[in-house]
Amino acid sequence: MIGAAFGETLAHAKAGDDAAFTLLFRDVQPALLRYLRLIAPDAEDVAGDTWLQVVGGLRRFRGEEQEFRAWLFTIARHRAADSGRSRARRPAVPLDMTEAEQFFTSPDAADQALEAVSTRKVLELIASLPPDQAEIIMLRVVAGLEAREVARIVGKSPGAVRVAAHRGLRKLAGLAGLPENERASTKPGVTR
Amino acid sequence: MSGPDAMHDEMPGFFPGRPGGEHDEPLLDMLLERRPIPPGAPPELHDLARMLDAAAGPGEPGDLAGEAAARAAFSRLPSPAGTSPAAPRSARHRLTKRPARGRLPLAAALAMAAAGLGSATAAYVGVLPSPIQHLAHVVIGAPPPTDGAPAQPLVVGSSSQAVPSPRPTSPAPRRTLRVTATPASSRPGSWHWNSANPRYSPKPSYASCQPTPGPTQNQAHASPTPALSPHVSPSPGSAGLGTSQHQGRPRAERDLGSPRPSASSFAPSPSGTSCPSLPG
Repeated sequence: MIGAAFGETLAHAKAGDDAAFTLLFRDVQPALLRYLRLIAPDAEDVAGDTWLQVVGGLRRFRGEEQEFRAWLFTIARHRAADSGRSRARRPAVPLDMTEAEQFFTSPDAADQALEAVSTRKVLELIASLPPDQAEIIMLRVVAGLEAREVARIVGKSPGAVRVAAHRGLRKLAGLAGLPENERASTKPGVTR
Repeated sequence: MSGPDAMHDEMPGFFPGRPGGEHDEPLLDMLLERRPIPPGAPPELHDLARMLDAAAGPGEPGDLAGEAAARAAFSRLPSPAGTSPAAPRSARHRLTKRPARGRLPLAAALAMAAAGLGSATAAYVGVLPSPIQHLAHVVIGAPPPTDGAPAQPLVVGSSSQAVPSPRPTSPAPRRTLRVTATPASSRPGSWHWNSANPRYSPKPSYASCQPTPGPTQNQAHASPTPALSPHVSPSPGSAGLGTSQHQGRPRAERDLGSPRPSASSFAPSPSGTSCPSLPG
């Protein structure tokens, strides 16, 4: 998060300052990609489309940092939905086991301790949650959005968002406490 | 006690499968808001906080892979003063290699403009077919067609400068108009060109200066204003207007089956001349 300097940074970016825009990009892009990797297989392409739309509307944007991030993630979600519809028109052969599932069931991963969890591991743990809970946790924790902003993005009430986030956290804590081979059995859609 | 300051054994709801989950909701809200949890919170909660910190951790180098493309799109934006909603859209289309929507209309407009310019040029040169040339003559004041029945009386100057003829309003016998562009000499009964087309009305220049018959014709060069007056030669082949050194030797001659100009389109010159005053 940029913080107090966000207003000035945004003003410079609106004026065409490339450095200011780069600062905005570098501040948001990691969280954007993590979120998109959860909801879209082609996260990098969707992120590119998102930024193109952000660039186009940047000068018309009015708001603070929270509103900017909410606006950007709203665009990202819409672009991901567009990408999903496009993929649906081009059916692909599903794989038997995704990369995340391979990670959870591989012997090497089972040997790793929870203290050594990396960002990638945690993100894959979150991805193993039910989709709505995973998305809400990502928007709340990774994107740093308020509950009401997340509710607006996902189309739910703030109360429903809060409940889903709590459920997801509890489940995440349970997954973290489980042995690796037992985690895989709790993943949605995965059966022994 | 169920607030953030509650001790571990006082918050049984956090652990999965335990009853009383509503008691740990404030702690979960603290986790979601990335606020530090109290030290007395269950160790599982601290583990979860570390996991969320890792999830929201700094980006990896690969996370900035799209920076170049985004910056390129940003740099293609016009200046704030010239911002238009269409610019980012076109930039996006360029990035995604989609065909630009505005290229085809632009090419069509350019082709139309080139065709119109070429047609106008051809019309003024007089190389169009007679019907089209006549249409161009009526519409844009181009020279009338040089052949064919509907041709207008065409007066051609000595310096290969075509002078348009007035519009006919009534049929008239064929006449031969022989006009020179120099006003050095005049001759009684000679032709005097006059145009009904105001767009093609000649300025007071010597290219369109012809003397008018009458006793004051030799005073033509003293007249300060050009006038438009009809003077039709009574017989084809009569002496044309020309300079003293070109008398009887017209430089251009057109035998045109033009109708006789009407009196409404040809007004007699009050001063008996259509020539501007000579400089000096």
